Amino acid sequence: MNTKLKKKSMTVSGFVGPLIAAILVAVIVGFTTDRFWNLGNLNNLSLAVSITALMAIGSTLVIFTGGIDLSIGSMIALITMAMATLIKFEGWPVIAGLLFAVILGAILGAFNGLFSAYLKVPSFIATLAGLSIFKGMAYLFNNGSPIFSIAGNFEVFFYGKLFGIIPLPLIYVAIFYIFFTLFMNYSKLGREIYAVGGNEIAAKLSGINVKKVKFMTFIIAGAMAGVASVLMASRLNSGSPNYGSGMELSAIAAAVIGGASLLGGRGNIINTLLGALIIIIVQNGLNLNAVPTSMQSITIGIIILIAVLIDMWKTDIAELFKRYFKKEA
Amino acid sequence: MFLSHIEISILYLHRDLKKEFIPIEVELFWQLKNITMRFPGVVALDDVSLDIYKGEIIGLIGENGSGKSTLIKCLSGINQPQKGEIYCQGEPVKLTNSALSQKLGVSTVYQEFSLVPTLTVTENIFLGRLLKDKKGFVDWRTMHEKTRSILDIMQIDIDQNAIIYNLSVAEQQLVEIAKGYTANGSLMILDEPTTALTAPEIKRLHKLLRKLASTGHTVIYISHRIDTIMEFVDRIAVLKNGRLAGIVNISEITMDEIVKMMSGRQITEHYPKQRNVQDEIILKVENLTTETGVNGVSFEIRKGEVFGLSGLLGSGRTEIARALFGVDKITGGKIYFKGKEVKFNNPQQAIEDRIAYITENRKTDGLFLNFNGPKNSTTARIKKLFKSKKLHILDLKKEFKSYDESNQQLVIEPTSEYKFVGFLSGGNQQKVVISRWLFAEADFFIMDEPTQGIDVGSRIEVYNLINKFTAAGKSVLLISSDHLELLSMSDTIGNLKFGKITSIVDARDAKEKNNTNSLYLESSNT
Repeated sequence: MNTKLKKKSMTVSGFVGPLIAAILVAVIVGFTTDRFWNLGNLNNLSLAVSITALMAIGSTLVIFTGGIDLSIGSMIALITMAMATLIKFEGWPVIAGLLFAVILGAILGAFNGLFSAYLKVPSFIATLAGLSIFKGMAYLFNNGSPIFSIAGNFEVFFYGKLFGIIPLPLIYVAIFYIFFTLFMNYSKLGREIYAVGGNEIAAKLSGINVKKVKFMTFIIAGAMAGVASVLMASRLNSGSPNYGSGMELSAIAAAVIGGASLLGGRGNIINTLLGALIIIIVQNGLNLNAVPTSMQSITIGIIILIAVLIDMWKTDIAELFKRYFKKEA
Repeated sequence: MFLSHIEISILYLHRDLKKEFIPIEVELFWQLKNITMRFPGVVALDDVSLDIYKGEIIGLIGENGSGKSTLIKCLSGINQPQKGEIYCQGEPVKLTNSALSQKLGVSTVYQEFSLVPTLTVTENIFLGRLLKDKKGFVDWRTMHEKTRSILDIMQIDIDQNAIIYNLSVAEQQLVEIAKGYTANGSLMILDEPTTALTAPEIKRLHKLLRKLASTGHTVIYISHRIDTIMEFVDRIAVLKNGRLAGIVNISEITMDEIVKMMSGRQITEHYPKQRNVQDEIILKVENLTTETGVNGVSFEIRKGEVFGLSGLLGSGRTEIARALFGVDKITGGKIYFKGKEVKFNNPQQAIEDRIAYITENRKTDGLFLNFNGPKNSTTARIKKLFKSKKLHILDLKKEFKSYDESNQQLVIEPTSEYKFVGFLSGGNQQKVVISRWLFAEADFFIMDEPTQGIDVGSRIEVYNLINKFTAAGKSVLLISSDHLELLSMSDTIGNLKFGKITSIVDARDAKEKNNTNSLYLESSNT
């Protein structure tokens, strides 16, 4: 077997489609308005995409096992409120607060994992309960009012720039996506996540601890929600029980548009980033063209449907192209 | 008696068999003309022609992969043959879907049950054609009454309100047959209807089918148990490698001749058995009992031995395998493996002790359809891919290399290196599964129906592999519904019934003696 073929099968699979789609969307939006390819706008774009993109890593990993996590939006509300309280009212150092955010996220994820992986509550139900519980818990802090001015220079985590040019959120996104791409391809757990999503019974009979694998994906999803919470809180230097609301759906949409199968086992972590980009670019384009919010929401929904249909008909479309080009030749 | 016939048949291999037959009734009912059906890589049916007369019972036999199922799928509209015509009462028909052939009176009872497990018996029997009263409401009363009367006619002692998943496998099969009967099919096709049935149940079923035939129904009955088939069919059609080896009146043929038609000249090469049994006992099971129905089972397996488990579906064969592999909980008894007592709480521990489990259903329990061949082959011991003991990073080059190596032994289709395994043939898929356990360095193989649904060539390769394993001192627990395979490839055979081992016999004796402790009589004399 020649190595070219091998490599092709490993890296290209499903990666090109979403990339072309993202570029296409960017080009089209670029035609509709000259403000799109403007450095300031691109800067905003990268800030806007970062939070969803980081959350979506967790959603994607859960989806890879065939599960779903609906609770990460509510986690953001709870974590920003808890972190803001600890730093502002309890006098914790900022760095301890940041660590706390990630650890609390992991604990909340473990809660989801306990119920869905070990106690066998379907993940949709378990995390739907989590969505409600975490949201409620967020209101327990500060009498349910948002907490402003967490710390003096807290915005720096979101608005800071490396060497004065590269927005920090872009760096986080790059680091986490590179890490998780390597993780999925070169770690045992990564391989096991794909295996569990592909065939749970076969995974079990191959000696894979299926429950533990599922449990771990929920912990990762929670921890990533913790990371996203830091950015969210830093953005307006505040914590709020209303933060994150509905963002779990954007994160899931990013994964799905990126081609992750909700049945599990198939997909690519980088594609989720492309999925998030597609959503944000479209949103940005609609904003720049002064399209009302109602239409934006409808458009995103339509994109999800188109993405899933393309994914389902992928092989047929490829076949069609092949036939067409054969005729040409 | 059946067994001795096989041996005798080998002596008569060179006699020509094609006999003319005289139809029992002259009215031609269905006609298959030159049916050819190709699947990627295999010709499942090759120029098969078959005339079916009204009111007759045809036994359709052939080895695994000979095209029996494909042929009936052509009749029931699931497969559309690439070549050939089908006539119904003289009219050419195109059976493009199963609804169409149902309309023409074909009702099929498949090997895999098509009952909805959460519905009741009545609901299943009338599924898709609920009776309605004059106002258009569903008429449950009539349906219940009808179901009851059908069950009574068939002498099936099942409540019509019972939920399917509460029924035993045998009962489910009877309901399935009742369903086919209720559909009032003029052509009833039964695919291996007896695998889960006990002898009295089989007798009752045969009586019923005979009754149906006398009222003008036509029956096609598929089975690989030749003696049961010979008891009651009118004609027997033998398929071999996708070709019709012959169709004859049952009164004009002996069992020997049928066996010869089925297996042809290469019968001795079909089962290339090597005996490699050593003295050392590798596995000792004492009084094994599980919640899943294994009831005090004891046996020993030696190094290099192939231990065959024989029994009907649901007799506890697969359950023993699952208990040994740590999947199902063991409630009683002891297992000694490699000289020490073991208790596997999960498959991980069994795999650590070098046990392999090749499951009955490749697609549902074995393969990762989202992976290519190499990834499929390493899942049972991913750890082996680590770059070093400290650096827990998967070495993907090593993965390909080890796949190439095991490929030299297994000869798997080369494209499996990058193709998803779902696109491979059954034989190649099975080899991918086996490669997983080679990679895991297993030395004790549990094989549940290892040759089910794979072509003859791959089958022989699997047998050769079994020989290779035993020659290297590895042992095999072989579970199979294919009696010939079990007899030919095992060294020792344990007969299972209702979760108990009723006898353990030397496979060679079973061939020669064919008395009460022989495997075949065991399962039919109940």
